[in-house]
Amino acid sequence: MYSEHIKVFEKLKNLNYFLIIMISSLSFLGFALLYSAGGGSFLPWAQPQIIRFFIGFVLMIFVAIVNLRVILNYAYAFYGLSFILLVAVEVFGMVGMGAQRWIDIGFLRIQPSELMKIGLVLALACYYHRLGTEEVRHFKFMLVPLALIVAPSILVLKQPDLGTTLLLVMIGVSIIFAAGAKARYFVIAGLTFLGSIPFAWNFLHDYQKNRVMTFLNPEQDPLGAGYHILQSKIALGSGGLTGKGFLKGTQSHLNFLPEKQTDFIFTMFCEEFGLIGALALITVYMTLIFYCLVIAIRCRNRFGQLLIFGITMTLFIYVFINIAMVIGLVPVVGVPLPLVSYGGTSLITLLLGFGLLLNADVHQEFKLPRYD
Amino acid sequence: MHQANPYFGKRLAPHYYVEAVQSPECLQIKNRSLISFILFGFIFFCVAIRLLNVMLINNNSGSESLSLPSSLIERGNIYDRNGEVLATSLVTGSAYANPQEIIDVKESVAKLISVFPELNKKEITKKLSSKKGFIWIKRYLTPKEQDKLNYLGIPGIYFQREERRIYPHKNLTSHILGFTGTDNIGLSGIEKTFDSVLKKDQQDVKLALDIRIQHVLHEELQKGMIKFQAKTGSAIMMDAKTSEIIGMVSLPDYDPNHPDKISKTSSFNSNTLGIYEMGSIFKIFTVASALEAGTVNLNSGYDATEDLKIGRHKITDHHKQKRWLSVPEILMHSSNIGTTKMILDVGAEKHKAFLKKLGFLDATKLEIPENGRPMTPRSWKDITMATLSYGYGIAISPLQLVNGIGAVVNGGLLNQPTLIKDGNKGASQQRVVSSRTSDQMRKLLHLVVKKGTARKSDVVGYVVGGKTGSANKKVGNAYVKKGKHRSLYAGAFPMYDPKYVILVMLDEPKGTKDTFGFSTGGWTATPMAKEMISRAAPLLGILPVDEKSPKMKAAMHLNYKSGKEKHAVG
Repeated sequence: MYSEHIKVFEKLKNLNYFLIIMISSLSFLGFALLYSAGGGSFLPWAQPQIIRFFIGFVLMIFVAIVNLRVILNYAYAFYGLSFILLVAVEVFGMVGMGAQRWIDIGFLRIQPSELMKIGLVLALACYYHRLGTEEVRHFKFMLVPLALIVAPSILVLKQPDLGTTLLLVMIGVSIIFAAGAKARYFVIAGLTFLGSIPFAWNFLHDYQKNRVMTFLNPEQDPLGAGYHILQSKIALGSGGLTGKGFLKGTQSHLNFLPEKQTDFIFTMFCEEFGLIGALALITVYMTLIFYCLVIAIRCRNRFGQLLIFGITMTLFIYVFINIAMVIGLVPVVGVPLPLVSYGGTSLITLLLGFGLLLNADVHQEFKLPRYD
Repeated sequence: MHQANPYFGKRLAPHYYVEAVQSPECLQIKNRSLISFILFGFIFFCVAIRLLNVMLINNNSGSESLSLPSSLIERGNIYDRNGEVLATSLVTGSAYANPQEIIDVKESVAKLISVFPELNKKEITKKLSSKKGFIWIKRYLTPKEQDKLNYLGIPGIYFQREERRIYPHKNLTSHILGFTGTDNIGLSGIEKTFDSVLKKDQQDVKLALDIRIQHVLHEELQKGMIKFQAKTGSAIMMDAKTSEIIGMVSLPDYDPNHPDKISKTSSFNSNTLGIYEMGSIFKIFTVASALEAGTVNLNSGYDATEDLKIGRHKITDHHKQKRWLSVPEILMHSSNIGTTKMILDVGAEKHKAFLKKLGFLDATKLEIPENGRPMTPRSWKDITMATLSYGYGIAISPLQLVNGIGAVVNGGLLNQPTLIKDGNKGASQQRVVSSRTSDQMRKLLHLVVKKGTARKSDVVGYVVGGKTGSANKKVGNAYVKKGKHRSLYAGAFPMYDPKYVILVMLDEPKGTKDTFGFSTGGWTATPMAKEMISRAAPLLGILPVDEKSPKMKAAMHLNYKSGKEKHAVG
């Protein structure tokens, strides 16, 4: 028999410190940018973000050293809890910025759709962990994962939050892909998606339709819906090759750039640090993502592998959609730049996700039975 | 067992490890991860290419498409000190008609209204049926509108190329730039003063203004005005050494893009055209005058135990100390009795000359037409001198006040205030106080922020110095005691080597819960100035210093005695 109870100290010693340093560095860059966004002041953004980071950091380390088996056992429970909270938002959520996304529990406001991203990764990883190799390939066994994806997605879409819905679907599908479902399903799904666009169009809210239209032609409505993306492009251009320097971005500091502390923080970064800075930042993100994929391959239990893959995928989709959005490659959807953008739930959720990733990494050589 | 597996035991001790070979389902992810690698790499490449395009390549071509051939544009642009466009011109077409060439009025009107539904049918019918040879139909059309109208092909309708002035920053630059009328003639502000430069010579004008600072002043002033329910507000930030105005906001303001909608109250530039009695802030000049005249030094003092009678007038203190006060204490506690006694020792002749040197007795020659002429005392009797010492009986513009303070703290040299970048380059400066007096004034004003009435403007690290004021307003011939006053703050930073001077003024502010109902300068304008300084200083590249370091302490140290020990100051 083997012992699963590795000593806490030993686990701490074996944590992946390269990963932790990268995560912290990106967060510290975020503090600096929020300091700049506040006009060279820790308030109103940098200071709360620093506090949240430290809370999230402690949470991350804690999650990282819990026994992986415990996480496997509670995976569905976490998914279930997130789902219940999503329903709760539907019933008595708070309406903020025209969309009902928050739930207020006195001292804390949580955004269940954020928790759901982690919940979905956990639930799918758990499901595929318990499935045999041959079963994975069978279409029958795709029904449960699809249900796991679709149910929360519909709730989130109703909020309405198109961005998070797409994120959930993309994360879910990517795990099914990683688990080894037949490649032709993805081809068929892709074609179906393209074919269904005209029908889906009718189900979109007006503002969502507007965003798509504006994306296709931002100059059509420069002061209305196209404002975000045009201002963003102007700010990007104003950065040039080397940028205007820290604290010196004119477009962002004059409040021409909307949401500069959240979704459009990358634009501010580009204006201040230029093309060189932008490419450097993307390279850091890609290094982080590639490194995480390597960890996934190295892992020796299926649950851990899929967990790492799912979290990495979430990170990639965040980074890609956020950056693609501000440079006008995809329509404006509310997706933050991970670890850098201002925002409590998204930062803490990400750190929680990294906690799971570190956990799977530290337990990479564990044998996890399919069932206890 | 573990020896069978080369991967084994790298990170955890042997007994935790169980599986020797990766199971087939564990190997599956390798293939899929590899596909992801390739996909991610490709997407990363696309993003990089797009960034390159947006940030460098497209950026250049974008600005080319924005700027029209110069031959088409007549009026020059106006820029801020960093090259941000503040005013520019756009070529548009205006539609006009020759009614005598119109064949079918009814049909033409119907067609016109199909393109411009906002036109008044009756009016346009009347115009088109008239005997005139020229009538305007609609001015400043968009290219799309022009195209549509052209497509209708109504005989007798023509287009006139016209220029339209655009102010991208809207209200932010209103009083400084002014605006132009429909015929492209500057009607106020820089647009008027530089009309011929902009129009005839087609030259660009580069202002001293920093639009980022202007934005900070505007936002904070507006916030404060709403918070304290003030009627109007003024804020100025000026380079202390060159007198270049880097920010100047007067509220209410207007959008110069729509000159037809400007009201009389909003077009009033309180910073340059308005003249006001400045109240206690003027004590800065009283003390400077006395130090310069040599009638006091920092250890001198005056008896402020009892109210002072001059003729039938009685002079009292707001923050009564009822004791001897040294010169620094007179400024710290803003003692009217102290400054009155001080000024009487200086004498009318010397003090008048001092105010004249500061430019307070003549109108400023700023590069906009809106310059107020100060109201100065007709006679310089003792009672006039007394009220002058604490800021009544003389009314100057906020701009003059800021400029005067700049000269007192910058080492003692006065410039003409200017709105133009490098506007004072090469111009001669006039000495108003000695560098020794200036040094003492810097330390005194820093003391007022650290220990006196201006404590709420202390932005630690930026070594602020300043003075508050609350001036009662005159209604008719009498000063209104309660409720109606102007609250002021004027200061400079960093005090060891002043780079910028700032002024904030609110008209008739009301107290709030936070200020315990107080609405004097120390409770209203002063915290607003603090917000402005703390936001502007980093933008201006001023590095905060450790105010508690021995070096900084020594630099700002002021050796003074308290009047509490009467014989010490005498």
